[in-house]
Amino acid sequence: MDLSRRGFLQAAALTAAASGLTVACGGSGSGGTKNGKNLTLWYWGGALSDKVVAEAKTHFGSAVTLTAASIGGDFKQKLTTTLAAGSSVPDITGIKGEDMASFLPNASRFLDLNDLGFKKISAQYLGWKAKLAQTGDGKQIGFPIDIGPTALFYREDLFAKAGVATDPDKVAALVRTWDDYFTLGTELQRKNPGTYLVNNISAVFNIAVGQGTQRFIDKNNHFIGDQDHIRGAWTTAVRPYTLGIDAKINDNSWNAAIGKNLLTELGAAWHALDIEQAAPHTKGKWRVCANPAGPSNQGGSYLALPKQCRNPEEAFKIISWILSPANDARGFTDAAIFPAAPAAYTMPAMTGPDAFFGGQKVIEVFGPAAKAIPDSYEAPADAAVMAPYMTELTNIEAKGKKPDDAWHDAVSQAKQIARRQGVN
Amino acid sequence: MTSPPVTGPAAVPGHRGGPGPARFRPRRATPAGTTARPRRRGPLSYWRQYLAISPFYLIFAAFSFFPVFYSLYLAFQRWDGLGTMQFVGLQQFRFLWDDPVFWLSIRNTLVIWVLSTVPTLFGALMLATLLHSVRRFKGFYRIALYLPNVTSIVAVAIFFGAVFSNNFGLVNAILGTVGISPVPWLSNPWLIKLVIALLMTWMWTGYNMIIYLAGLQAIPASIYEAAKMDGAGPVRTFFRITVPIMRPIILFTVIISTINGLQSFSEPQVLFASNAANANLGGPGQAGLTTLLYFYQSAFLNNDYGYGAAIVWAFFLLIIVLVAVNWRITQRGRKP
Amino acid sequence: MTTADTTRPAPRARRLRRPKGLTAHLVLMTAVVLSVFPFVWTIVMATNTTQDIYKSPPKFTFGSHLLENIRHVLNTIDFFGSMLNTVVVASVTTVLVLFVDSLAAFTFAKFDFPGRKLLFGTLLLFMMLPLQLAILPQFILMSKIGWVGTLQALVPPALANAFGIFWLRQYIENGVPDELLDAARIDGAGFFRQYWNIALPMIRPALSFLAIYAFVGAWNDYVWPLVVLTDPDHVTLQVELAQLNVGHTTDYSMVMAGVLMAALPLVLVFAVFARGFIAGATEGAVQGT
Repeated sequence: MDLSRRGFLQAAALTAAASGLTVACGGSGSGGTKNGKNLTLWYWGGALSDKVVAEAKTHFGSAVTLTAASIGGDFKQKLTTTLAAGSSVPDITGIKGEDMASFLPNASRFLDLNDLGFKKISAQYLGWKAKLAQTGDGKQIGFPIDIGPTALFYREDLFAKAGVATDPDKVAALVRTWDDYFTLGTELQRKNPGTYLVNNISAVFNIAVGQGTQRFIDKNNHFIGDQDHIRGAWTTAVRPYTLGIDAKINDNSWNAAIGKNLLTELGAAWHALDIEQAAPHTKGKWRVCANPAGPSNQGGSYLALPKQCRNPEEAFKIISWILSPANDARGFTDAAIFPAAPAAYTMPAMTGPDAFFGGQKVIEVFGPAAKAIPDSYEAPADAAVMAPYMTELTNIEAKGKKPDDAWHDAVSQAKQIARRQGVN
Repeated sequence: MTSPPVTGPAAVPGHRGGPGPARFRPRRATPAGTTARPRRRGPLSYWRQYLAISPFYLIFAAFSFFPVFYSLYLAFQRWDGLGTMQFVGLQQFRFLWDDPVFWLSIRNTLVIWVLSTVPTLFGALMLATLLHSVRRFKGFYRIALYLPNVTSIVAVAIFFGAVFSNNFGLVNAILGTVGISPVPWLSNPWLIKLVIALLMTWMWTGYNMIIYLAGLQAIPASIYEAAKMDGAGPVRTFFRITVPIMRPIILFTVIISTINGLQSFSEPQVLFASNAANANLGGPGQAGLTTLLYFYQSAFLNNDYGYGAAIVWAFFLLIIVLVAVNWRITQRGRKP
Repeated sequence: MTTADTTRPAPRARRLRRPKGLTAHLVLMTAVVLSVFPFVWTIVMATNTTQDIYKSPPKFTFGSHLLENIRHVLNTIDFFGSMLNTVVVASVTTVLVLFVDSLAAFTFAKFDFPGRKLLFGTLLLFMMLPLQLAILPQFILMSKIGWVGTLQALVPPALANAFGIFWLRQYIENGVPDELLDAARIDGAGFFRQYWNIALPMIRPALSFLAIYAFVGAWNDYVWPLVVLTDPDHVTLQVELAQLNVGHTTDYSMVMAGVLMAALPLVLVFAVFARGFIAGATEGAVQGT
């Protein structure tokens, strides 16, 4: 056949395939308009009340167009990647409480909310929560959305069966310390054969560590995970295992166990929904009381403004409106978000009785707990350093590893991770 | 162009035509390598060939080469993904050498790989042979057996988690009816690996079966007729004819399965993700922590991108050694 | 192989078909049951409530909540919009993969040119490198060319997968006889004609498989689309589905309904492309092309 046509075919086919690249090279990398009229908000399902977000759109509609994107999957990875690349960065973004510490070393990627007026309203929010989103030199990166004050959920019916007091205040008095709690557990188990006090010992450890003011790394960037406060939490966590009141649930069977053979459950306010969802047939049988040995915090997120924010003033207005105590309280009704603004705790949205807990007004437990959570310092590498303790506690349960051996392995592992992360 | 494909993907060597024209590459005519032959043309005269592979290589360079070397660069840095990088030399690799979790993850990966690849490929070949031999329901079998590969991994993981659950699982419930006490499927280190391997076997057997089937269908029926004439039974036929002819395809699947099997990651991740109280990956005792999962944890959860890159590169070297050994073994069997 | 053993002592019984066929069908049916079981269970989950799923032992019968779960899915996410996006991306990706890979594979399999071994070796080597770490550099690249947030950003990384070339080269090398290409050349067919008119029709079964592989891969791809699709109005099905699975509590029956709805088109595509295998060598040898 004629050469030209053949050549043309080849060329056409190849250009068709490669055209993407050539065209692309001419494309512009601009990140959008700079007039500050369009703002994007990234959050994940359940981080904010969708209704409040929708209202924010109309409330600020005259000034800016707010586009809210609820993002599924690994939120942190997506945020880190876009921040690192510096394009398509949202104007407002959520940050999960457990990720906040790791974003703090890169505070320069975000705006200091104190400059925008957070200082004036910060008294409305729990100090310990706001402080966790603050750098050493006082830059405020995150605006607190919610918190996760922990408490003790317990099965009123099984307590009654064992002849133990069932009134939340009385139970709280019975479990003032961890030891009291475990002693009560052995007694409950004797009267309710086949039941267990705790779900697994990692959960106990997690809460016990959170009850203190120090965690695994101190403010001078020293590893302190081998010191008494951690050792104490560890010893506490191992107790239910040695007493035989640990259900050792480390797989997915929690969902099936929760309505069945667990006497109590330690968890944050939002955990109530998990229980309700997994065991709807136990409605009315649960109660909540103060956490043994005091509350700690689990979870709870922030909103932040990345440096690229196209209209900082307006964006700050939007987040302070979304997270105003009144709107925050609605988050509790809509999405079981426990507000970080104590003023919300007295609002009708939060003070009503909860049928799942037999009509108990759970805010009476969680409200005081929220305010009693201690100030603590969480280093950027904290979560990474904590991981080996969890692994080793699981090893005790799954493999019957000797608790002392597990402790030594956990500490040596943690030290290694700490060194890797630049902790000395 | 009416000539039918007389030879399959793995045609018996020895009845191919003579050497083609210069530009043509008669494969077997150049066993000593192309350099032995006097080259008559410069590289430019091969522009058609280069043009033909260029679309792929352009994209490949941008989206594989560049990122891969970028990650090599990262392995010598300390970097949290956002801040400034800090050159640390070989420090990450020294950490790696001393890190028991890294070595545990390697052991886990290898065990899971062997436990899944062997039954997968064996089962796939067996099913493909059977499927090739039957006449009815072919289409139905093919679709039904390939289904696992299109099923969402999330659904599969939930399913396996529920079926093998220690306390409430179906498997233990069945075992219970015959008086066997509950087996800790999801907490015993070996059983965890077994369950993950089962999941992978389930997902990939049908896929490999299709590959084998494509190979089998290309073997001319005349070869089998001839074997039958010689009085060879099905077993003999299978081992003397099917397996040798299929050898390149089998080698191909072994390599692909090695690559995929060693990169197992999402299976253990989703299988043990439901454990919200525990931030660790890989289940109790980290028995399901594969190397890639450890990489994921280090880079994306612990923000230690340099260490993550070091893990990937150390592991990469290991895979190369394994594939080379694999190749050697399979090639050696070919000689006699 | 145990099945084959039983048929052995019947050397010349007319066709041997019956007993062998029966055992083969038995084994295949068992495999089918094992294969389909979790898929069926997905349907079971999708037709029940989440509480039923976590019963112990789990409920294994179909429920009556399918429509309700589907309604939930449709109310929560933009299912059809994202599905349309996915169909477009997966189709474009598949077509390009088929073309680009077959062209390169044909060249590698049938022609010798300087650097061939080196280039092909690199492919194999890079297949072994896990590309999870590549997400960041890929994203930076995409933002440089301004494709972040667009659907076309999903195509190039999918094209950079060497599996297709590896697979097709394997097939073409032995499946397309040199004599045929020789003959065509003598008839005056150039490089592209040899590829298009001779090689391509002969490797249809291999192409069908690659098509399925590429389509399923593009359909189920999750991490890269999640990161690169920054515009909430332009996301793919898997990213959208992940929305169902968030929050402190997961409505699994709804998730499974979504998963099911997302998998059905795949099964359909497979059923269509799987016909390509029938058109493969066995039958083809009789009919010619």
